[in-house]
Amino acid sequence: MSWQAVARKEFRDAIRSRWLHGSTLFFALFLGGASALFFGVLLPPANRQVSNLFGFFANLGVFSFSFPALLALVLGFIALSTSYGSITEERETGSIKLLLSLPNSRLDVVVGKLLGRSTVIVAALLVGFLATFVALVATGTRLQLGAFVPQVALTAILGVAFVSIGLSLSALADSNREATLATMGLYFVFAVLWGSIAEGIPKLLNYAAEQVGMSVADLTRVQLGVFLKYVNPLKTYETLAAGLYYEPARARLLSTTFGERAVLGSTLQESMPFYFTDWFLFLLLLAWIAVPAAIGYWAFEREDL
Amino acid sequence: MAAIELDGVTKRFEDVTAVSDLSLTVEEGEVFGFLGPNGAGKSTTINILLDFVRPTAGAVTVLGHDARAESVAVRERTGVLPEGFDVYDRLTGRAHVEFAIDSKEVDDDPDDVLDRVGLADAADRQAGGYSKGMRQRLALAMALVGDPDLLVLDEPSSGLDPAGAKEMREIVLEEAERGTTVFFSSHILEQVEAVCDRVGILRDGELVAVDSIDGLREATDADATLSVSVGDPVDDEILAAVGNLDGVQSVDRDGDGALRVACDSDAKTRVVTELEDRGVAVTDFTTEEASLEDLFLAYTEGGGVAEADAVETAGGTSSGSAAEDVEVRQ
Repeated sequence: MSWQAVARKEFRDAIRSRWLHGSTLFFALFLGGASALFFGVLLPPANRQVSNLFGFFANLGVFSFSFPALLALVLGFIALSTSYGSITEERETGSIKLLLSLPNSRLDVVVGKLLGRSTVIVAALLVGFLATFVALVATGTRLQLGAFVPQVALTAILGVAFVSIGLSLSALADSNREATLATMGLYFVFAVLWGSIAEGIPKLLNYAAEQVGMSVADLTRVQLGVFLKYVNPLKTYETLAAGLYYEPARARLLSTTFGERAVLGSTLQESMPFYFTDWFLFLLLLAWIAVPAAIGYWAFEREDL
Repeated sequence: MAAIELDGVTKRFEDVTAVSDLSLTVEEGEVFGFLGPNGAGKSTTINILLDFVRPTAGAVTVLGHDARAESVAVRERTGVLPEGFDVYDRLTGRAHVEFAIDSKEVDDDPDDVLDRVGLADAADRQAGGYSKGMRQRLALAMALVGDPDLLVLDEPSSGLDPAGAKEMREIVLEEAERGTTVFFSSHILEQVEAVCDRVGILRDGELVAVDSIDGLREATDADATLSVSVGDPVDDEILAAVGNLDGVQSVDRDGDGALRVACDSDAKTRVVTELEDRGVAVTDFTTEEASLEDLFLAYTEGGGVAEADAVETAGGTSSGSAAEDVEVRQ
């Protein structure tokens, strides 16, 4: 197994890219800057605690906003950009021939690239969180490490998930152009379209059921719709992050509409279905690392160079 | 044991057959040249050996391992200089060699390897700034890591200047002396001639000949070109008579004062005798041995042996201005 060799090569290569330098700087400014702004300027000293930025979730029913969601959007974009070309670019330049003329199996290549590029993204992210930490300490903010540290870990996992998604697109695409378009399309789905799709599917099922004289119960429809929303890794991350600061029932209602909340609210308080528990959603987030990488390997293994 | 064994290998891409029913054995310790014009299927064959592409049909064994199922085991003992590759622009030359050392899990000294290919001075520069020839050397350095039992070189001298090509040849010979099997493809004949024990000639995906260079020379029917200087112009009748002689492939006028005759070695005397019998004064004649280039063209174009350039027997060569060329073929 020489995936370590591939991972080291990927890391050494990516660490020298200007894109990464830019991303690192961005994370430092974005995370550190937001922390400095909120805790140093906007919030009165009494409110200076981590949860008021990193645990800030606003849901206006038709529109929800949170700092973790914003971070996830940016991180998803940067992580995808770091990995979507990892195989197609090597194909196009021909460096893949050097890579595979050495005794690296195609599995070594996929695993090595996933780990190498993930390390780079996580490193950039950690620099950003380090800047945050400095800002937190400097402003005398209450650290709430019990929630903040797990949140850093969750964020890192989300980054790795998007590296994995980009890598799989790179393995599936025939050209760099195709990989670029597929990545942009998928990002658009995650960032914009997913909610509508998730709400549409139960409606469609209900419509189909009505055609054969049956119907889907309101509660089932809403539960399915909300669950589908949380399959989106951006939302999985967001609700898990919220779960670090609030009780699970409240965290799960994070991206729901008023209608959905009316139906689901009391049910979640009484008993949490297993697919809404933190653990299940955490496994779902891990699956966003494992499944795309597996699909990528499956595709790459079959391809002629 | 055979280092490389191809048995009935066919590779079809969507609409083209790149390699067709290719069977070939390369013995251990042999230097084997794989010749053919561009697009003949050389690179496809090499890509199959390395599991870059998978054959549509046929069995491939390299160093005793199945090339598909045990490709990593094959590549652990094989050094490869691929064709149409590129380096990692941001990594230094040394980082490339270190990557090869890591992948092969050996403990070579990267500087020694770089020194061997003449890149010691550029070791710390990013490879993106290397010239084509330097990139080629770098890939060779990566191939040499871990003392491979087999070297697979696809068009190794492309991008190299003559001095670089010579160094490449010397390294190949050094490796061969240490018992390394060398399999390399080329369309440049003098290199093949200089280092190869045997050559295989590929045309349109099919292996049309495999032999030693001498063997190939003997195998082609026309192995000599005879230049005959004559006192007077030769008329068409005499030209046809010479063309009809046993063992003569073609006769051309080479200006007014000379003829070029492609024939078997033992037909030379008959040609001269025939001319003299018909009253043509033969003032001088030279024979030229068919070069590998001729053989190559003969095999790859499917035509007869064309012009030769290696002069075997010296004499006063005469060559008039080619005013008129009449060709008579048997």
